[in-house]
Amino acid sequence: MLFNFNNLRYSLGMERKREVAVSGSVAGGEVLVVRGPSGAGKSTLLRILARLQPCIGGEAFLKGRSWREIPGTEWRSEVHYVAQKPVLFDGTVADNLALPFESRMLRGKKTFDLERAKVYLEKLLLSQPGFLRQDARTLSGGEAARLVFARALLVGPSVLLLDEPAAPLDGKSREAFYGVLSGWLNASGRAAVLVSHDGDYKYLGRFSFLDITA
Amino acid sequence: MDSSIIPISNLQLAFTVLLVLIAGGISSFLRLGLLGALVWGTVRTFVQLTLVGYALVYIFRSNNFWLVVAVITLMCYVAAKTAVKRTPNVPDYPTVLAFLSLLASTYLAGSIVTVLIISPDPWYSARIVVPIFGMILGNTMNGIALSLDRLYSEVRSRAAEIEARLTFGATPWEAVRSTVREAVRAGMTPTINSLMVVGLVSLPGMMTGQILGGADPRDAVRYQIVVMLMITAAVATGCLILVGLSYQKLFNRDGALQSFVLQSRK
Ligand SMILES: Nc1ncnc2c1ncn2[C@@H]1O[C@H](COP(=O)(O)OP(=O)(O)OP(=O)(O)O)[C@@H](O)[C@H]1O
Ligand SMILES: [Mg+2]
Repeated sequence: MLFNFNNLRYSLGMERKREVAVSGSVAGGEVLVVRGPSGAGKSTLLRILARLQPCIGGEAFLKGRSWREIPGTEWRSEVHYVAQKPVLFDGTVADNLALPFESRMLRGKKTFDLERAKVYLEKLLLSQPGFLRQDARTLSGGEAARLVFARALLVGPSVLLLDEPAAPLDGKSREAFYGVLSGWLNASGRAAVLVSHDGDYKYLGRFSFLDITA
Repeated sequence: MDSSIIPISNLQLAFTVLLVLIAGGISSFLRLGLLGALVWGTVRTFVQLTLVGYALVYIFRSNNFWLVVAVITLMCYVAAKTAVKRTPNVPDYPTVLAFLSLLASTYLAGSIVTVLIISPDPWYSARIVVPIFGMILGNTMNGIALSLDRLYSEVRSRAAEIEARLTFGATPWEAVRSTVREAVRAGMTPTINSLMVVGLVSLPGMMTGQILGGADPRDAVRYQIVVMLMITAAVATGCLILVGLSYQKLFNRDGALQSFVLQSRK
């Protein structure tokens, strides 16, 4: 199993605390689709899997290694989380694509490959002239969502944690998005956990469901 | 030039009541609600400074090395407590960290000035050391309070960007580096600005004091230059040390942002 988590427990809410316990797994090339009503705790689960916040109990494994054995910094570059709201930094689109390569885990191991970035952008229907030089703060919601997705692919993790990545996309760009995701999953040693409200998974090849009830 | 200070008698000091009445009159006329604070502040000013006056006479007379060290360390502690209280964006900050950064920066800059530059005999001469260290502390205290507050407020408002950097495999330090820079800058800016305008907009308190005390203005100016630069050095080191000691407190053992940073300010 490429990525799995067992009996992950976390609590939600304030006065009336609700405890959630979930287990799941994804093999290479697969997508685990997390479903559940709004407020069920889907984003919280993804943040816990990325080790951006602690949980009460349970354990996750990457290629059989427990997260207890792997420092948070290393884990996060391998199990890469893309937030529900796209996060862009001051600067151009190109600056934003290159930014991850300043970090310790990527420095040395991987370098920013502009040509590969251009290929992803083109497949995501973001190849309008001058796009790389556009101020990232001026992008539309759908453009921002696809840009952070392209950036995530460049980071080159083993597992992508995607939180409703296609929510702001229309029919054509949505299809393009899933096309790129499926292509990315074709290489060995890659999997994704995807939160989705809609029946988008029809675009995906191999997938399974994880349902969280409120 | 008359080189002796003109003393203020008790009766003359009592006339300061007039000054308090002016401020109090404005406050009650406009209903600023400051009257209580003004009266209390006036009383405290009289009491604190009178006691300090007697204490200084005693300290200067005994001129004991350990007494001087004890007094300065106590001053650092009080300054640390005050600095921590002045940071609305920072919940439950340990005074000890502020104390350590004040202690280190004050002793560093203060020792350079007293040992190398002014070199009184003995070098720990209380009449020189206590006011010099006091001036450093007053400014460094403000500087570190500004830095610390800015660090927390900036991390809060940039939490999403910091978390995004973490997801790229950045270490906590890499994720907050630019924020740390902002925080140190915020602490140093008032001091740097005062270097620009000193003497043009106002005469600094220390220099005014020396001139009122009958010193040659040219000598007073030399002292003031030393004082300004030593304050700048101390503020810079104090802010850097404190922010360096603090940023880790914003992260948990997994190197992720603490939950209080992600929530609204309490
Ligand atoms: N730090 C917190 N303190 C208290 N309650 C929280 C906290 N974080 C999240 N919650 C609550 O936990 C629940 C789950 O939040 P989460 O963001 O995981 O939902 P979600 O399943 O992603 O929903 P959506 O589909 O709307 O994005 C929500 O009811 C939210 O209000
Ligand atoms: Mg969500």
